[in-house]
Amino acid sequence: MSTLLFYDEIDKPGLASLSTYHDIGGYSMLRKALDMEPQAIIEQLLASNVRGRGGAGFAMGRKASFLPKGDMDKYLVCNADESEPGTFKDRELMQKNPHLLIEGMAIASYAIGASRAYIFIRGEYMHQADVLDAAIAEAREAGFLGDRVMGSDYSLELWVHRGAGAYICGEETALLDALEGKRGNPRLKPPFPAIEGLYQGPTLINNVETLMNVPHILRMGGEKFAEIGTSGSTGTKVVCVSGCVRRPGNYEVELGTPTRDIIYGLAGGPPEGRKIKCWFPGGSSAPVLPGTDEYMDLPFDFESIAEAGSMLGSAAIIIVDDSVPIVDVALKTAKFYRHESCGKCTPCREGTNWTVKMLERIENGQATPMDLDIMASVCDQILGNCLCVLGDAMAMPISSMIKHFREEFEEHIEMARERNGLGAAIPVMNRDERGPDRSAEYSAVGH
Amino acid sequence: MTPSPSDPSRRLAGQVRRYSHGSRVPDWDRAADLQKAPAVIPDLATTRVSDELREAIEQYMSRYPDRRSAALPALMLAQKVHGWCSPLAIEQVAAVMRLTPGYLSSVATFYDMFETEPKGEHTVYVCTNISCALRGGDAIYEAMVEAAGDDPRMNVRTFECLGACDIAPMASVNGEYVGPLDEADCRQIVDELTSGRPVLEHKRLRDRPSAIDLPMGDGLPTAGRDISNRITASGNDVAGPKDM
Amino acid sequence: MPRPEINWITFSIDGREVKAPENAMLVDAAKYGDVEIPVFCYEPKLGQPVGACRMCLVEIEGIPKLQTGCSTPVKDGMVVHTQTERVHDAQRAVVEFLLINHPLDCPVCDKGGECPLQDITYGWGPGTSRYIEPKRHFVKPLELSPLIAIDRERCILCYRCVRFSQEISEDYQLILNERGAHSFVATFDGHPYVAPFTGNIVELCPVGALISRSYRFRARPWDIEGAGTVCTLCPSQCNVDLTVRDDRVLRVSARDNDEVDDGWLCDKGRFAFQHIHVDERITEPLMRQDGKLVPVDWDTALTAAAQALGEAGPRAAAIADGETTNEEAFLLQRLFRERLDCGNLSARPGGDLPLPLARGLADPALQATVPDLEFAHAVLLLDCDPIDDAPIFDLRLRKGVRRRDMNLVVASARPTALDANATTVLRHAPGTAEALLVALDAALSDDRGNLGGAASAAGSSAQAVQDLLEDLTSAGGDIVILYSERLFGGPRGPQAAEALLNVANRLNLTGEGAGLLEIPIGANGRGVREAGFAATHGPGFAPVANPGLATHGIAEALAEGQLSTLYLLHTDPLRHMSDGELWERALSSAQTVIAHESLMTETVATHADIVFPGEAYAEKEGTLVHPDGRVQRLRRAIGHPTPFNRHPGSGVRAGWQVISDLAKLLGLDFGVFAGSMASQQLFAAVPFFNGLTLDEIGGRGVRWPAREAARLAFGETSREPVALDVPPAAAVPSEDALRVGTFRPLWSSKEVDVSPILQYARPTQVVELSPVDAERFGVADGDKVEVGVNGTQVQGAAKLRHAVPEGTVFVAEGLSDASSSLFNYGTVQLRRLGGSAEESPINPIIGMPAIGESPFNPPRHELRESPPGTAPRMNE
Ligand SMILES: Cc1cc2nc3c(=O)[nH]c(=O)nc-3n(C[C@H](O)[C@H](O)[C@H](O)COP(=O)(O)O)c2cc1C
Ligand code: SF4
Ligand code: FES
Repeated sequence: MSTLLFYDEIDKPGLASLSTYHDIGGYSMLRKALDMEPQAIIEQLLASNVRGRGGAGFAMGRKASFLPKGDMDKYLVCNADESEPGTFKDRELMQKNPHLLIEGMAIASYAIGASRAYIFIRGEYMHQADVLDAAIAEAREAGFLGDRVMGSDYSLELWVHRGAGAYICGEETALLDALEGKRGNPRLKPPFPAIEGLYQGPTLINNVETLMNVPHILRMGGEKFAEIGTSGSTGTKVVCVSGCVRRPGNYEVELGTPTRDIIYGLAGGPPEGRKIKCWFPGGSSAPVLPGTDEYMDLPFDFESIAEAGSMLGSAAIIIVDDSVPIVDVALKTAKFYRHESCGKCTPCREGTNWTVKMLERIENGQATPMDLDIMASVCDQILGNCLCVLGDAMAMPISSMIKHFREEFEEHIEMARERNGLGAAIPVMNRDERGPDRSAEYSAVGH
Repeated sequence: MTPSPSDPSRRLAGQVRRYSHGSRVPDWDRAADLQKAPAVIPDLATTRVSDELREAIEQYMSRYPDRRSAALPALMLAQKVHGWCSPLAIEQVAAVMRLTPGYLSSVATFYDMFETEPKGEHTVYVCTNISCALRGGDAIYEAMVEAAGDDPRMNVRTFECLGACDIAPMASVNGEYVGPLDEADCRQIVDELTSGRPVLEHKRLRDRPSAIDLPMGDGLPTAGRDISNRITASGNDVAGPKDM
Repeated sequence: MPRPEINWITFSIDGREVKAPENAMLVDAAKYGDVEIPVFCYEPKLGQPVGACRMCLVEIEGIPKLQTGCSTPVKDGMVVHTQTERVHDAQRAVVEFLLINHPLDCPVCDKGGECPLQDITYGWGPGTSRYIEPKRHFVKPLELSPLIAIDRERCILCYRCVRFSQEISEDYQLILNERGAHSFVATFDGHPYVAPFTGNIVELCPVGALISRSYRFRARPWDIEGAGTVCTLCPSQCNVDLTVRDDRVLRVSARDNDEVDDGWLCDKGRFAFQHIHVDERITEPLMRQDGKLVPVDWDTALTAAAQALGEAGPRAAAIADGETTNEEAFLLQRLFRERLDCGNLSARPGGDLPLPLARGLADPALQATVPDLEFAHAVLLLDCDPIDDAPIFDLRLRKGVRRRDMNLVVASARPTALDANATTVLRHAPGTAEALLVALDAALSDDRGNLGGAASAAGSSAQAVQDLLEDLTSAGGDIVILYSERLFGGPRGPQAAEALLNVANRLNLTGEGAGLLEIPIGANGRGVREAGFAATHGPGFAPVANPGLATHGIAEALAEGQLSTLYLLHTDPLRHMSDGELWERALSSAQTVIAHESLMTETVATHADIVFPGEAYAEKEGTLVHPDGRVQRLRRAIGHPTPFNRHPGSGVRAGWQVISDLAKLLGLDFGVFAGSMASQQLFAAVPFFNGLTLDEIGGRGVRWPAREAARLAFGETSREPVALDVPPAAAVPSEDALRVGTFRPLWSSKEVDVSPILQYARPTQVVELSPVDAERFGVADGDKVEVGVNGTQVQGAAKLRHAVPEGTVFVAEGLSDASSSLFNYGTVQLRRLGGSAEESPINPIIGMPAIGESPFNPPRHELRESPPGTAPRMNE
């Protein structure tokens, strides 16, 4: 039985209330932290080698140590935007164990010397935000937050800030803009938030799950914590499995657990008679991997998934079975990113839009295999050229689909053309040669 | 006389097919109304704001070192009062926050949860993103639209991933997550909403235990799994090609 | 505050070693090596780079990803490549992306030929496009405002225009709505984008998306010529570039001069050029016969004028204002002093100052510069509002606060547009700026008695004055006091000047970066005075044997028949002098009124006997002196207009020439045969202009107070503080009487009145009052009200403003009608005349509270600059 940090007692009745949380030892780590030097806490985080659970997988301790010392206004921001398709772990964690997050944030704030902290939660999570609001009120009442935390000299204000529906606000700098009451546009980096973040003050931004690890790290000690999982990917990970599986849901596993155990073991694998065509290992932004044994045998950790050509991301596994055409998956994915592009930088704004239009033409039977090359090239033109990585987040999965399933794309193009009465593909040079004007069918897709 | 195809008069401006830009924000293809005064910061001396709204907004403003941070919560409050982010709602927020209405409209139109046009009071977001679509989300959306019919109180929207793929296909009904849904649930949701009863109590996400405690499912819904249908999960993408 | 120091470093670009200032953005640094990196969104004038368009990607050794050259500061030893395959690929990609939705309507686009998108597409684009999907379409073009048309199809979403609105003018009216590919530039709920600086977005737009409605379809780049000169429509004297086609001015653009305008123009300067070519232009000499003005030839007009002046002798008087150049003022005062033995000369509507005070205020050591407004530790904005008085200064102050952490301290009677940017705002009673200065002086010299008395005379408190002083002095010694010449307007003008000098000397504002900056009332008020056009002094503040009468005295003497002939040089006393009634009498009693004027004004039409057609600034040559002492050149862009169907020569003549000819008829030969000769005489006559040449002044101007020789020539002034007395207390509002204050809106000018495109901006009278008083008097916003005292009345629409202090109303002066120049400070009665139902065109400009508030009062740390790092279709 592998170690569980979050899910062993997740359904314990009343866990969301301060009394129950306190009964199982809650806030004792905050007490312990307040008696430590801030730097000593960061040392523990460094020793734990815990990596960010929000997507990029950057070591939390290192990020915290980038913040300048001294008593300027510093901030801690918890990224609870959780909008990556397929990801739903933070929701369950916050709803069921809000005080663990609050405790983690209080410790982290103390460690970096922040006196204000915000939880940026996506606006759709209304219930979870209410739960957090109530928990924060309880914690403040009990002296775990507010002036002179637990009688120490340290004071901390913590607020929940609700978003209003925009995936891009998960990107840390866009999140800061949204928190400052602006349009959620990503900022240029550098300066990085650790140096110049919220209100231009040094800011540490971490995912919900990352911050929830903090009390556990203090309890176990960083080195002990680092023994869980693999050497490069320490600790456990809450994996969100969804799509074509028999039991979608959140499963906490030690990092490095074989992928097969998660997809087939915990989630039950694809439904009767279906095979896995491909899967996203880390949300819809991660390049897809085929469902072949080779990939099922991968240890589920940051390094192995990266080596296989994808990324662990938010550890949201989306399973696509063999009954679903890959073009449909590509179109859904691309439309999502087009919808969520903030529009600030050119390649992402125009590139996602163009990709959707090409995929629609494939779907409508008005494409030729040549369009696949253009599409791949458009993805190439996006990759690495954008202001933030949202553009890449579309380009990578689409490229991977073309790479792994090119034949299916070509077949789809031919079949759709046939359905459309167009016959075999010929290069489309201009509108008139493209046959009947099917533009009315575009009507559902914007422009 | 019918002009011959090469006759240039066939190409009169009105007949050339155009594809409109489309936007969920009104006025994108209208000129400014030159009779209006410029939209500067509304003076509280001339903009009436209810005390409750003003105080609630001021309360939010006090939470942040920069008052502008309260923009999102303040707009949400005003949207609740007015039903949508109407120009009046925005002006009221602007007057309290001492911002221009333009600042706030630019913010409001960026985020999906702000309604930029008058909408029914019962909001149903149906997730049609990939994980839900793989389990029939698109069909649920269509069923929900059908169930809502033309009841003006209903505001049924497609939405991007709502972060509840474990209960796919799902929807957020006035903020309450419910799922997994089938088509019958859609009718029930509309009934319950319009008669003021609690919605789909047995399928609320908030009461659901974690997955490991649930029995292994035995498959996927078979109906409506065609994710190729062209529903775009997006409040934004409303307009399509039009003749202009 | 010390200016950033430049440190030169060496970096390598495309294989060449290049020296560049450290931390310059790569796109700028590259220019030192003659390498051009294409940009769209980058515009340093707009503040920090945003890195949005991605056009400027370059390869930097040691960094795996391509970097945006617009936001990467150059460092010593950096190795940059702009000509690699990767960079080319990225550039072609961005151009291809940008052209996806951009219509190829260049042949009918105003920007065609001067379009960065066109140029970059040719220079860096792929040459072809693989995009065959339908493009996005908008209805076009649409009106964005009375001045600007927007063509959203062409927009490449570079953010420049909205950044201008947000970060430069801070009006935050122009916004981006929606998200992603749906984003579009818009305003709130279809309101027009009307604010004082909107025209700048036309110049900023790198494509043809924002088009000036006055320029639309007027010319193509190959039809036009550019002509650099200086705008004379207000004291800011911005440097402009006139677009000329067929001897007509079609457009005004900024001719970036950091020291003067920072590259911006206000909408008045940008669009009121239309006054040059309107029917109201006076294009031939006129004389009054049988009560009517009829055209005459130059000889007749000049002879008649010479005769009238000659007869009047010392009983003549002259007033200069507006676009008067130094040369015109200099020559006219010579004519008056040398030929008529007359010193009745005035360029100060408020009255002249005794010579020592006038000289003291002009002391080169005390002069602050325009950039000082930005770099000072603190600026005291003393009872003036730059938005109305010198709009470009408003932008400079905003920049100082936003980017340099400057402390702005406002002490003014009327709420200013900069209140929200200020660290402290002190609201005093209208007309009590002198008392406030006395209080400041007392606070600085620890004179408790005067402090209390003067502060309460100003309608404020000792504590408030002390707080203000604390904020003014706490940040450092570079302090600038920005004030308006209106300070010296009342009968106590000299005392106010004394108080100001006291404060300046006690604060020791003689260092670099500190000082006084006066906004004169006339566009060239400073130059006209320095050229000797003043009752109390000659050229270069030379003492005169027998000083003449100043403005008020001239008016009284005329009214009483002691003076007979009045020469008005670009002056409209009825509109701009504070005592309108007296001037009405004065002009009626004058025997001869000679008006040298370019437009038919009320004064000319009803009172002038002899009219010399005046030049518009685009036709003029000569020099001006900027409020900060910068001598600038006006250069002729177009020829003088001639009346329709007349032989050449009957038209407008150069001002210096008219005055010379007049002098010659009176027996005085200036020996001036060209405009430049007049300049030479001026430079020779004014000691601190000695040695200046037109060449040296050139296109950028020369600040004379900065020239060593000039400082020596100017000599010393006294720095000893003098004893001040507490001025009379401000009028106290009562049950039925309110204090009244006045302001002169930016838009109240004859040029605006006649410019077709600016008709929307012509100010009408508003009466600004606080909501409390409004309730007391039963007045609602927009109601028609009347304020008045002793039978003089002004009517206007009530404007409720939160920021107006209780017990005070504000009315505009200098309007072509309903002007409040009828009364001075004191109290007035207010009466409601009726509701707003009747059609009262609420004027968008002075009716707008934005003049009083800015959306931003960001926390201080946000202001720091981080280290580098269905409406009608258009049918004009
Ligand atoms: C487009 C985009 C969306 C993102 N969305 C989320 C999100 O919803 N939740 C999250 O925690 N991190 C998200 N991230 C990652 C954050 O930018 C950031 O890396 C993370 O919050 C850092 O926290 P961590 O180090 O604890 O993972 C997103 C990144 C991008 C580029
Ligand atoms: S209108 Fe012009 S300036 Fe404004 S974003 Fe578009 S291209 Fe840029
Ligand atoms: S100029 Fe550098 S990103 Fe636009």
